[in-house]
Amino acid sequence: MEEFVKITIDGKHINALKGSNLLQLAKDNGIPIPSLCYHKKLSPTGACRLCLVKIKGTNGLVASCTVQVKEEMEVTAFDDELEECRKYLLDYLVSEHNEENDNSYTDEFFELLKKYNLYDKSKRKYPSVWKLMNYSKDDSSPVLTYDASKCIKCFRCIKACDEVQGKNVLSFNDRGMGSYIIAGFDKWKESECDGCGECIQLCPTGAIVEKPHRSEININNLDRKVKTTCPYCGVGCQIEMQVKDEKILRSNGVEGVSPNDGRLCIKGRFGYDFVQSKERLTHPLIKKNGKFEKASWDEALDLIASKFNECIDKYGNEALAGYSSAKCTNEENYIFQKFIRTVFGNNNVDYCTRLCHASTVTAMLRSIGDGAGSNSIEDFETTDCLLVTGNNIIETHPITATYVKRGVSKGMQVIIIDPKWTPLVNYASIWLQPRLGTDVALLNGMIRYIIQNDLMDKKFIESRIDNGMQAFEYLKKLCQKYTPAYVEQITGVPGKLMTEAARIYATSPTSMIATGMGMSQQVTGTNNVFSLINMMLITAQIGKERAGIDPPRGQNNVQGATDVGASPLNYPGYIPVTNDENRRKVAEIWNVPYESLSSKPGLTTVEIAHAAYNGKIKALYIMGENPMLTDPNLNHAKESFNKLDFLVVQDIFHTETTAFADVILPAASFAEKNGTFVNSDRRVLRVRKVVDSPGEARNDWKIILDIAQRMGKPMKTYNNESEIFDEIAAVTPIMAGINHERIEEHGIQWPCYDKNHPGTSTLFLEKFNTPNGKAKLNPVDYVAQQEKVSDEYPFLLNSGRILYQYHSSTMSRKNDALNAFANKSYVLMHPNDVIKHNFIDGIEVKLTSARGNLTTTLRISEEVLEGELFMPWHFSESPVNNLTRDELDPHSKIAPFKLSACKVEKV
Amino acid sequence: MNTEEILLKYKPDKENLIQILHEIQDLHPQQYLTETDLLKVAKYLNITRSFVYGVVGYYSMFSTTPRGKYIIRLCESPVCNMFNSKMIAEKLKEILKIDINQTTADGLFTLELSECLGLCGNKPSMMINRETYTELDENNIELIIKNLRNN
Repeated sequence: MEEFVKITIDGKHINALKGSNLLQLAKDNGIPIPSLCYHKKLSPTGACRLCLVKIKGTNGLVASCTVQVKEEMEVTAFDDELEECRKYLLDYLVSEHNEENDNSYTDEFFELLKKYNLYDKSKRKYPSVWKLMNYSKDDSSPVLTYDASKCIKCFRCIKACDEVQGKNVLSFNDRGMGSYIIAGFDKWKESECDGCGECIQLCPTGAIVEKPHRSEININNLDRKVKTTCPYCGVGCQIEMQVKDEKILRSNGVEGVSPNDGRLCIKGRFGYDFVQSKERLTHPLIKKNGKFEKASWDEALDLIASKFNECIDKYGNEALAGYSSAKCTNEENYIFQKFIRTVFGNNNVDYCTRLCHASTVTAMLRSIGDGAGSNSIEDFETTDCLLVTGNNIIETHPITATYVKRGVSKGMQVIIIDPKWTPLVNYASIWLQPRLGTDVALLNGMIRYIIQNDLMDKKFIESRIDNGMQAFEYLKKLCQKYTPAYVEQITGVPGKLMTEAARIYATSPTSMIATGMGMSQQVTGTNNVFSLINMMLITAQIGKERAGIDPPRGQNNVQGATDVGASPLNYPGYIPVTNDENRRKVAEIWNVPYESLSSKPGLTTVEIAHAAYNGKIKALYIMGENPMLTDPNLNHAKESFNKLDFLVVQDIFHTETTAFADVILPAASFAEKNGTFVNSDRRVLRVRKVVDSPGEARNDWKIILDIAQRMGKPMKTYNNESEIFDEIAAVTPIMAGINHERIEEHGIQWPCYDKNHPGTSTLFLEKFNTPNGKAKLNPVDYVAQQEKVSDEYPFLLNSGRILYQYHSSTMSRKNDALNAFANKSYVLMHPNDVIKHNFIDGIEVKLTSARGNLTTTLRISEEVLEGELFMPWHFSESPVNNLTRDELDPHSKIAPFKLSACKVEKV
Repeated sequence: MNTEEILLKYKPDKENLIQILHEIQDLHPQQYLTETDLLKVAKYLNITRSFVYGVVGYYSMFSTTPRGKYIIRLCESPVCNMFNSKMIAEKLKEILKIDINQTTADGLFTLELSECLGLCGNKPSMMINRETYTELDENNIELIIKNLRNN
């Protein structure tokens, strides 16, 4: 039980939680006890001693950061003696500090120096000791510099790396006065540092500073600071962009705000330079005689309008389609889908979610009624057990992973199911390494063990599962044959390891699942997730806080884009296009005849490409997508695109796809617009304009409205993005209570049904979102993959992402800081295979599948199983999708990016 | 014995770090820790490189640079100091033709200073590898070095 105590600080009476930190309590109550080594996010260090106070009954002066409050504590925070003591201590501290280039002090340090009249060097009593120490400087990292002569050894950086980010990359070397901070073997570049820069953000004295824009940053001379949402993965980190002369110079994490509480990864901190890249598209371009020529907006928009109309006249409105974008805002995606439905008059709108979590969402919608994560990102720290399946969470959702690592340090058990090693294995209790494509067998084996050992929750099965024990009996029967020996034979996972994992998952008080692309991007993707959900349901690891299933989303707004209706199957808020009642309601809000809204489900991403190939789709409108790198079986996809009569691509850069376009339209980047994103835990977060767009680039939604206008089918106009969101709220019941004003400071997690609703941190506490409120078991059998190794193609290729690049790398590869860490394609091969085939590490190799080929560099690695390969897919010069298949999962239409039979040859 | 064999003697728990480092260093003819070895240790114990390096850097008995076959640790505590350890240091420098913390060109001797060795009763004193030498004076140190050289 929480117990409150009464204490006084400088005569002020404070009601405080017993055991709370005295220094923080004082600060929270407006008593600004000075401190340097203390930070709210870190455990107290007690190194700088500036927070000294007097406590009645305690001898001497004590560092308040190390004190937990007790009943009737009487504290003196300020008197002459304490202030004199602090001045002396600070003077002493700064004697170790080289004050040259003082433009990276934190505000608190700067204010302290001024407060104690020590900013002016001549006012200091002690000489500059640092000059005698011959301190070193580590300039080897691509993103930061550490200067020991500026360091006061507060250890905030070491703790930031360890306690906040869970990386523990930093330590100190040597002893006493001579000690200093190190990464690796005293060389940052060769350390495990991944460049997240948490240490930079928490360093008070500028001893650790970033390299990008170093010479331009001057904290006293910024034009503005703008809070917005990071444009990379689906964590939705809140960032503060610092601007001088219309240029972004720095991105810091916003402290004290979910989901990241100030934490960032390298992409969030150093990945913003693409915004001001010289390669940005700045003018509309029209292809004339095979070459792109600059055009005016009028010319480009008129051409698009006439071509779209021509296509409708000639082939009917079913011949047009659009790709929306997970990178654009909700407001833009909403306008885009509205455009497709009302101006094109069909439901042919999809985007790359179809290639990502479509199977996860399909399985979740059918089993539990919602395709979004059931928990909050913060829960990744507090759950008792986390099952991570096919999800390289440290590299693809770095900040969610910080919560996991912090949880592990407090005793959380992590179970990993992944054919390939991921960095999280270092933190895991158990790593199951099944062969590619055998997940259903493994999960059914775990279910069998759970049932055999009576580890399921019968009460939950009876009360919350459709058909209760009857459905369960069916699952039990189906799983009967998945004995540990049988499962081991299929998956290669030792039976004992599998059963131990099942036991931990089932018996932990709370277990959460993080499921990723490894599960979803398979022909059996939906079945994989069905099996996972079956195990979750029978063990009742959902329907309570800190339990459930969460698919961490790959892109900034992949959640939001589908939420607001960028889907061929659903209107905003996951209401099927076939729902007449909803179409009637929406038609009224959109002010269009109800009959004009098609009830026919549209084509999905890959289906659109197939239809283009077959001559069914003639005109395509793409907003911020790059299918010519992200679509499976690229050679076929390229042929399809070549058959289009008319292609419009709206983007911020030239991409592999713009090359196929007839018209290219320059759009605004995330930093140039207002709006919202929805992150992986359903949190609607504000995006704010930081700088102006380059050249003539325009906001996506304005471009869409212009095209509608010129096609003679004007859509409703808006003064700003906030008005668009209000319309989203009107047609999207799960967001009905949200508007821009409400999320000014903190995001709100949907469902949020009305203006007084606080949002929902955990789904399914009372009931599932199915028609009868009960979850559905979907027992599935293991089916061997169609794609198999053969004499001709002896390897199975897996593909995935890495920390330093993002998606088709259109944005990420325009940042020197990210490229410095990883800018080259490679394929991983097990050492035994390397020996067997007489290859050598580092050689150039050609990979060939039945679909196509590519060349890349061979890397020897024990991260993959024998007979399996792994390649990151970010690099357009070695496009993995030349090799992948476009056969689709029958339920969700996702493509099997994770499994392609291929051969490897020396170039 | 090699590094891998030493590692396998211990559970992969970081509490064994110092013991492992000692064994590996002792194994090396030049009594130091190479980066290759430190990497193996970090990997085996599942700890970061700086964690290993920080421990190595903190304790003066570990070295990341090659040292002599014989490491001389001359006590510089107050008692030895009062009884002429400074003179002994000068004499050793002269005989070995090196400065403190340096190694002789033939790779035989490294000269280091040490905190109290607990041999104050027979000051001044020093250790050479694991042997203790007490009641040092100008003559006997010359003999000690000579004997080791001839070994």
